[in-house]
Amino acid sequence: MSQLFTSPDVPQVLTTTLSIPYTLTPGGAAGQFLAGLAERRILGSRCEPCARTVVPAQDVCGRCGEQTPDLVELPHGGTVTSWTAHQGRVVAKIRLDGADADLLHVVAAEPGAVEVGDRVAADWAAEPTGWITDLAAFTPGRARSGPAEATPVARAETSVEMVPYRLDLTYHHAYGPYYGRMFDELGSFSRLMGSRCSSCHRVLLPARAICDVCFARTDQFDEVSDTGVLQAFSVIHMEFVGQTRKPPYVYAEIVLDGSSTRLIHTVAGDFDLADAASTLSIGMKVKAVWKPESERVGTLEDIAYFEPVIP
Amino acid sequence: MQRRISRVAIVSVAQTRLRPSWDRLQHVDLIGSAVTDVLKGTGVTMRDIDFVIDCGSDVLDGRSISNCGFLGAMGGHHKEESRVEEDGLWGAVYGVTKILAGPASIGLVVAYSKPSESDVSAYYSTLADPFYQRPVGLNHRVASGLAAREYLRAHGLDPEVLDAPAAAAWRNAAANPYVEVADAPDAATVASGGLVADPLREHHVSRNVDGAVAVLLAAEHIAERITPAPVWVTGMGSAMDSQMLTDRRPGELEAAAAAAGTAYRRAGVTDPASLALAEVSATSVAEELMVLEALGLAPRGHGASLYGDDSPVAVNPSGGAIPADPVMATGLVRLAEATRRLTAANATTSRAVVHGAGGIGMQNHCVFTLEV
Amino acid sequence: MSNVAVVGAGQTHHARRRTDVSQVGLAREAAVRALQDAELTMDDIDSVIVATGPVLFAAVNQPEKWLVDALGARLKPVVRVTSGGGTGLAGALAAVNQIKGGFAERVLVVAYDKLSEGALQYSISTLYDPFWGREFAVGIMGFSAAYWKARMDLLGHTEEAAALVSVKNHRNALLNPYAHVRKEVTVEDVLASRPLCWPIKLLDVPPISDGACAVILAGEDAAKRSADPAWIRGMAYYSEGENAADRSMIQSEPLRIAAEKVYREAGISNPRRQVDVVEVQEPYTCFELSYYEGLGLCPPGGAAQLIESGATQIDGDIPVNPSGGCMGANPIGATALIRLAEIAQQVRGRAGAYQIPDAKVGLMQAGGGWANLRGVAVVSSTKN
Ligand SMILES: [Zn+2]
Ligand SMILES: [Zn+2]
Repeated sequence: MSQLFTSPDVPQVLTTTLSIPYTLTPGGAAGQFLAGLAERRILGSRCEPCARTVVPAQDVCGRCGEQTPDLVELPHGGTVTSWTAHQGRVVAKIRLDGADADLLHVVAAEPGAVEVGDRVAADWAAEPTGWITDLAAFTPGRARSGPAEATPVARAETSVEMVPYRLDLTYHHAYGPYYGRMFDELGSFSRLMGSRCSSCHRVLLPARAICDVCFARTDQFDEVSDTGVLQAFSVIHMEFVGQTRKPPYVYAEIVLDGSSTRLIHTVAGDFDLADAASTLSIGMKVKAVWKPESERVGTLEDIAYFEPVIP
Repeated sequence: MQRRISRVAIVSVAQTRLRPSWDRLQHVDLIGSAVTDVLKGTGVTMRDIDFVIDCGSDVLDGRSISNCGFLGAMGGHHKEESRVEEDGLWGAVYGVTKILAGPASIGLVVAYSKPSESDVSAYYSTLADPFYQRPVGLNHRVASGLAAREYLRAHGLDPEVLDAPAAAAWRNAAANPYVEVADAPDAATVASGGLVADPLREHHVSRNVDGAVAVLLAAEHIAERITPAPVWVTGMGSAMDSQMLTDRRPGELEAAAAAAGTAYRRAGVTDPASLALAEVSATSVAEELMVLEALGLAPRGHGASLYGDDSPVAVNPSGGAIPADPVMATGLVRLAEATRRLTAANATTSRAVVHGAGGIGMQNHCVFTLEV
Repeated sequence: MSNVAVVGAGQTHHARRRTDVSQVGLAREAAVRALQDAELTMDDIDSVIVATGPVLFAAVNQPEKWLVDALGARLKPVVRVTSGGGTGLAGALAAVNQIKGGFAERVLVVAYDKLSEGALQYSISTLYDPFWGREFAVGIMGFSAAYWKARMDLLGHTEEAAALVSVKNHRNALLNPYAHVRKEVTVEDVLASRPLCWPIKLLDVPPISDGACAVILAGEDAAKRSADPAWIRGMAYYSEGENAADRSMIQSEPLRIAAEKVYREAGISNPRRQVDVVEVQEPYTCFELSYYEGLGLCPPGGAAQLIESGATQIDGDIPVNPSGGCMGANPIGATALIRLAEIAQQVRGRAGAYQIPDAKVGLMQAGGGWANLRGVAVVSSTKN
């Protein structure tokens, strides 16, 4: 997951990816709209006080803020009122016949082949999935299906209640001069370097430019010991989506000798995890157990774990 | 008895250079640099600061509550600190109201982004509701393309009208030491750029950059002790439009006009042209023209006229947001730029209007009026 | 200084999963209830502040942009204030400043989270530095458990004392019609419950909820038109560098600073005697014990004795979380605002089955992040 580039010619970044699953609930009108698409029906909502029919259907009128309980089924044809083409895809505002506001959707046409005022018609996906893309796109030409005009409809029994979704986000986190030096030292010499505050002289790990407490610059790197004090610990049993380390393990917050900040790691060694609560104690000495040199990659994972120091 | 504070001033501004990528620095390095610099020469130390307001984005930063990790660099330790997850100009609104509310008298507003570390398109598309607009491909570029077409059509304009303002923006940015510009395109180069979001071309849309900006605010009784040239906040307003792109009025920015109306009413501005300096934000040139018109600086459809030599208003002498858009910091950079120009030895005006925007298709707008 | 009051509050019936409303529909329910409670309409609202948990909880970036239509707030000032778990209070504080600073006369604060839709611990774990320690994170639970263990050793915050918090809050939640968990538990149940991040066990942990809360704050002139305003006597929200040198997780510094400031503003020198009702945001039972000390309800190291004495029970001399607290419902982004709403309704005499008789002064606490964001507020039925 993580890579460290040490060549000066390459930007020094840590690439991480978040891939988080969701189940999203569209609710009221949107649930009805999405369910309607499976039957190849396009539902809008009507606000009587504003005398406006909007599509897709909304629970609340965007103009007056009142609930819009009335659903309306709309024709499948409309007129392009605006369009753009971005990365080869035409996205347009389409005024469906009988609607008082536009619908944003894709027009399946070459960018040069679309004009404002063009007639377009709904094109349906072969297999509905519960998303608005069940209405796959609009295509140039006249509608060959759907009602002739906007028609009031009752709320259906069925509604889309949940749709699966995933957010995939990739980041390239810069190391910067402080983490860069710190991880280079870790990778090259297997030593932990913090930065020393020019005002309070405490050593901060991870290294940083500014001391949080004094708002003074740090002015030198100092090596920090790989032994320290167990400031706090818990025993992790819980599993969850996205977890990177398999439980059970000890969650440990360690203040390394020569530093004044928390290092987050794990404590293991010659004891049974079931006995962790009685074996480990707050304030006890712990020492880093390094992975074999051949397995080190210049991250905190180079320390396999910390082990209690038995005096 | 508590002192009743009637006015708030900007007493210092600082920012990093805005570059497409600060790939050798972390967020904390950029923030720490801007915050350190904003205190320089003011006689104010971090100890004197009553509160910190910060504006950044978890989605851009790749970290939940990312301000938590950056607190030390912004001096937030053991202070009142709040994150306004919107463009930095809204952070300034918070800062000003907090000083007016009392008893805080000096506050720091910080905004930052490193869009180079993430996918800006994902940042914008996740601003859209997940059911109706996001799945059909709405992002900032699509929104800008649609807005541009609607603006041009509403006023019977050709896309070429956008070229000169774009060239002016890039030319100004190239002359601005705070913006890194390798090659400023002239109008002909703008006109021949590739289409990004038809009818918008490469240089018509904003270029995302990395950077941080810090603004120091102070109550009236302190401001004049910190600087001989405090810049007074005379008015502020903000307004948000509908989230459905299709529910907004095409060809104009209603929320920008509403925000300006509020700011002008508070400032007693009756003739917007008296605000001879305008620093405004936009994600495309067409939207920049729409902003200028919403601010009442030009009649509808005539925003492009403000870029000529005889313009009554200096529009974005910094270059504005088209050559340099640091997403969450863009509006606060405008405030810093306007402050620097109002307090410059060769300043030509004493009043300015500053504008910031947020959201997809510039859904949210914030306006400040300033005076020296 | 002009005064500010809560003139209306509303919340949803919290649940594990609401499949009938979207995230914004949920938030609207609370806003509608708050407006009804205040006998106001959106036309009376000058400005809206939205508070929710981190964006990754819900896959919607800057969700106030989506919410604006559901609130009928188009063309009003709308802004989102975020601050982890304490975001609802951070939002309320922004509203208080907008009113005192003359930016608005009435502000609607809406806070919500629909946690059923996301992957909670995964999202919270991204609080950790991507370079440094994230792989060990279990949201913030492993961290919280670790420092509870430290406080257990140093301050005597035992598993039994924390279990009493769980028992009390679960029992109080039975009286709360909005609570999502309504189940009595015993000390034995808590101690025997499955360890998640030992010493935190299943019944030390609040539920994961869908829920929203809204509060309407008003300036003095507007508040005077309300029959029963709950006046904000003090409010503060402080931060601490999460990995600052020598940071103490034993007694919370930002909580101490915030409480000191708020007590000074509210004229409180002895909270145990002068406060009638307390609501704290206890994401785990161990935190309620810690807050007793941080808020000065007992001396450092006195929390276990305080809960054991029964003083914080609903009929005790300093009732804490008569609403059931987070144990009844925990829609994280809304939770802090719910605490504020609860003490406001207490001093307005509108707390229903868990009304503390004659409550005049209410105290609330909230917080988030790495236990490094901490806020406090005092409300009262009288202006000063
Ligand atoms: Zn309506
Ligand atoms: Zn220091």
